[in-house]
Parts: sequence; structure tokens; C-alpha cells
Amino acid sequence: MAMIWARIRFFVSVIVFFVFATAVAAQQPSSVDPNSDAVHEQQLLQQLNRIQGLGTIPDVKSYVIEQPMGRQWREFHEVWLHWIGAIAVLGMLAVLIIFFFTRGMVRIESGRSGINIVRFNAFERFVHWMTATCFIILALSGLNITFGKEILLPILGPSAFSSWSLAAKYAHNFISFPFTLGVILIFLMWIAGNIPNRVDIEWFKRGGGIFGHDHPPAYRFNAGQKAIYWIVVIGGTAVAVSGYLLMFPFYGTTIAGMQLAQIVHGVVAVLFVAAMLGHIYIGTIGMEGAFEAMGEGTVDLNWAKEHHSLWLEEEKARGGPTQLQRQPWATPAE
Amino acid sequence: MRAFLLACLAIVVVGAGGYFFLGALQEPTGVAYTTDGARINVDWAWRPVLNPRNANESAVSELCDKRKTWQWIFVDLGRPDGESTVCSDSQ
Repeated sequence: MAMIWARIRFFVSVIVFFVFATAVAAQQPSSVDPNSDAVHEQQLLQQLNRIQGLGTIPDVKSYVIEQPMGRQWREFHEVWLHWIGAIAVLGMLAVLIIFFFTRGMVRIESGRSGINIVRFNAFERFVHWMTATCFIILALSGLNITFGKEILLPILGPSAFSSWSLAAKYAHNFISFPFTLGVILIFLMWIAGNIPNRVDIEWFKRGGGIFGHDHPPAYRFNAGQKAIYWIVVIGGTAVAVSGYLLMFPFYGTTIAGMQLAQIVHGVVAVLFVAAMLGHIYIGTIGMEGAFEAMGEGTVDLNWAKEHHSLWLEEEKARGGPTQLQRQPWATPAE
Repeated sequence: MRAFLLACLAIVVVGAGGYFFLGALQEPTGVAYTTDGARINVDWAWRPVLNPRNANESAVSELCDKRKTWQWIFVDLGRPDGESTVCSDSQ
């Protein structure tokens, strides 16, 4: 008997359920207020700026279901960073090309004297080239992260681009260590000569002698070189710190912190690349005799007189003729 | 030139140090972003949660009579005499 009553109750329940379900479904369209706050996603997201749920695993950040700031961050690294990078890098290249074809190479006006003076010792050149080589690898592998998808992927194809990007990312991580070491050494090695002073103001007022045939006086580093020094120290520190935060995700950072680190890393890096293009230009094809300073460690005496006259006086007072060495090709024939 | 070559050598040495340093500190994604705290307990059941009154009875399957296949097919909601009510609660 109990079994029969149980079955009757079941079938009655099923019928009642379907009757109610049909009635409720029929009323649905009119029961939802389309103007309610709950149906406006934007208003909903603004209630707490994020929607967070509950979880049982220790990874607390996984409880965040919606993170509206992520959309702004995506907009930044998919759109804005591309524009900032393209304008900075291509803009700098355009300026340098225009400058080269209008001004040309800055020559040693009084010609080469044939006498060289030591400008950078072996350790300074070692540190410079270590940092510079690392920077080039980091810049190329870093630009690949931002622009590789648009520029290289169509050329290389998915397989080759994937292999290249994987190798580039590993190189980016590992090369960061000698680069950071180089930035620290550069900071310690040249800080004394890169403190701004009154001579720098005069150097800037006279445009650094870039235009025309002016040669404003300068100590070992002129104002332009000091600017490069501080860009390297401050910019290098910024990309190193933000890069290591990205390399160790969520070690002391939140989701917002990681996004901020990526924004700082991306923006500073592309501006850094643009600034270094200027540095590479003036150190190679932009100025006669400049590359020798880092290539061989010496510069021509007349180059030093024209570009670093105050430094030359200091060197003469300190070392005198022992610092000078005559080039074999400049020795008068007997 | 010698300074440049030495610089390249230093990059390789310090970079290799970075390789071992990161290898020692970093974890593969599959390890870093999972936890052994999330495991399915095969003995867990909804019954004590839904019916706290009988929580002490827990859902020990041995206490409940095994339903026959025809009982599942024909939705037999009957409860054998002497069986705990917890056995009839839906999961």
C-alpha cells in the first residue's frame, strides 16, 4: 500500500511541477526589469570594481572571476604599446636619417693630429660592451614580444616563429642577469663624472655643437652623454626591476601589480631602445673619431680638444705626455 | 676587440649562471599553478550537508540497501523497513 501511495505522490508531483514550470516560463518576459542595475554589466562591475568568488584551493587570486582592469591592460599591450613603440623607435630612426642627410657626420674640424689619448680603460670598455651586447639581444627579443606577431609571423610562418620566439624568450630571461650587472657597474664606474654641473647648462644652450661649427667645452662627459648615462641607469633599473617581477609572477605582487609591472617594462623598454638608437648613431656614423673611444680606448688629441676640452686639460695636468701615444702612421718620415 | 670578446665571454658565463639560478627557483607552470589541496574525495557525499540532522549517520553506503536496477528505472521511492532516512535523500 505504501508503495502505491509513493508512486501516486510522485506522479502528482511531476504533473504539478510541469504546470508551475509552464506558468512561470510564460511570465518570464514581463517579470524581468530591463532597466534593473543587475542587467547592466558595466554597473555591475563597478559595484566593487571586480567580482570575486569563493574557493577552496590556496591560490586566492584564482577566486577573482572578473577583473575589469584587465580589459584596460589588454587595450594597453595590444594597442597603445604598439603605437608608443612604433612612434618612439621609427620616429627616432626618421629623425636620425634626416639629421644624417642634412648635417652629415660631425668631423674633426682641425683634422687628426696623429696623437691619441686614452679615453676609456680596458675595464670600462669591457663593462660597456657587456651591457651594450646584452641590450641589443634584450631589445630584439623584447621587441619580438610586442611586434613579432605582426611583423615576423607572416614572414616566418607559425612553426619557425614559434621556435624563434621560444629561444628569444629564454635568451631574454638569461641575458637579463649580465645586463643588470652591467647597469650596476656603469652606475658605480661613471657616477663621479656624470653629476650635472653649470658647464652642462652652457653645453645645452649652445646645442652641444651639433649644429654649425661650435665646440662648447665639456669635462669627461658632456651633457648629452650624461643624459644617456642617466637614461641607462634609471631606465635600466626600471626594466630590470619590472622584468624580475614579471619573471617571478605573484611573488609579492597582485594581479594589478603584475599588470603595472608589464606596463612599466613595456613603455620604458621601447623609450630605452629609441634613446639608444640615438646613442649608437652618434657613437658610430654620427661623429668622426667617437667609436674609437670604445673600440680601442683612445681618441685623437684634436677630437678631445674639440669635444672635451676641459677633460683634456685635466688629463694633461694629471698625466702629461705619458698619457699620449703617437700613431705609427703619423710619425714623420726621416 | 679584446674587451668585446671578454664581454661576450662574461655574458655567456653570467647568462649560464642565470640559467641555473632560474632553474633552481622557478617551477613549471603545471606545478606552480596547481595545488594538491584540491583532490576529489570519493567518500564525500551531499547527504550530511543537505541533511545535518543525520550527519552523524554519514553516508556509509553499507548501511543502505542496494537498490535493484528495476527500482532505479521505475523510480521506486519506497524505503525498506529499518533503513535510515539518509539513504533516501537525493544526491
